[in-house]
Amino acid sequence: MKESCRRTDERLASYADGALPAAEHAEVERHLAACPPCRRAAAHEEGGRTLLRERSSHLKCEALPPGLRTRCEALARDYTARSHAPSWRAGLARGVVAAVAIVIFGGLALSFATHRSDTVLAAQLTADHVKCFRVFAKDNSPGLDAADVEHHLRDEHGWDVHVPPSAPEQGIQLIGARRCLYGEGTMPHLMYRVNGKNVSLYMLGGTRRPPAELTAFGYRSRIWSRGATTYVMVSSDSDADLVRAAQYVMQKAQ
Amino acid sequence: MLGRRQPPDPDAFAAEVLAFLDPLYATALRLTRNRADAQDLVQDTLVKAFRFANRFERGTNLKAWLYTILHNTWRNSRRDAARDTVEIDSERVEEASSASTGPMESDTPEQLLLRDTLDADLQGALDDLPEAFRQAVWLRDVEEFTYAEIAQMLGIPIGTVMSRISRGRRLLYERLSASHGPARVGAGGR
Repeated sequence: MKESCRRTDERLASYADGALPAAEHAEVERHLAACPPCRRAAAHEEGGRTLLRERSSHLKCEALPPGLRTRCEALARDYTARSHAPSWRAGLARGVVAAVAIVIFGGLALSFATHRSDTVLAAQLTADHVKCFRVFAKDNSPGLDAADVEHHLRDEHGWDVHVPPSAPEQGIQLIGARRCLYGEGTMPHLMYRVNGKNVSLYMLGGTRRPPAELTAFGYRSRIWSRGATTYVMVSSDSDADLVRAAQYVMQKAQ
Repeated sequence: MLGRRQPPDPDAFAAEVLAFLDPLYATALRLTRNRADAQDLVQDTLVKAFRFANRFERGTNLKAWLYTILHNTWRNSRRDAARDTVEIDSERVEEASSASTGPMESDTPEQLLLRDTLDADLQGALDDLPEAFRQAVWLRDVEEFTYAEIAQMLGIPIGTVMSRISRGRRLLYERLSASHGPARVGAGGR
């Protein structure tokens, strides 16, 4: 191949794309005018380019196989869930991580509920409160029927507890019930939403504590006892709504 | 590359990635020539895109970034075969290209565009191109990436990109326009 042919050949893609500087474009045209084999190559290049571009929308039009979109959407959901996870861990980091450390290093003592201080109890339950709402409660969690929850707790865990029902007129909604894993998993944990704020009620059977109100890691814990049960209510602050909710739950929980 | 990156907003990023699902699949299909492999390739691409989302720089070309992952994934999945295939194909195509510049002119591009079976023929001819050329013409003429973007995606110099585009276009046209079939060139990756 002659040098001028080689130089032309190298530039045919950009020539066809109209991407050559004017001087080089003119040089290629001069060569093509004088060289039939290169002219043919340029025509073929232009032909292939035209066909692909004219039909590109048809070539691109491939129906996705069934299920591929669904699987890819699931990958996307996993990713967004993972991406949002650090934010609640960061939220926890302030203090709740410390609370978890207390649980781990303080030991999950059999009788922690009776022997540990109110501070440790509040810290442990605050950690659980934050974790359970982050993990299990959705913004649009539907309200639950208290009778159903009582049945569930009896059938699943053998607990016979009275569950304070939702009180729409006070903005109180029962949204969940779980077995709290602290204190050897012997505590029902009821989850409420009070005018959009998260409130937990824990019931510790077989133990009594003097009433107390304290703050652990920025969360408010109220402790009181009735009969042989200690109740702990955890919420993010103590404005009027929550005080009213606490009173309501205290009355109804017995 | 080492500049401070701004991580994408996860929800927006996920939605934008999903918006490229159709073109990614079409590209994967031309690359793999096989629906099952194309599906796997698209899924693997998305797994990596989400895993390495923090490496994507907001404001840069997401489509090019995804195509780079797609091509890298494909290359890695068949690393053993790929490199040799490209070399061998290039040589054989070189021969075929010069051989086919002989006197077998027939349809013009305009005539070809009127052909009823053009889409099927074009797809078949594309699939028969050696992989290196198929990638290059697809990325340039169908997806309309720039030479520089293609060079980055495929990890090859711009000169090589242009030469592959050129060879791919000519070969494609010669195969489609020859009235009696040109010598079939061994297609790569078979």
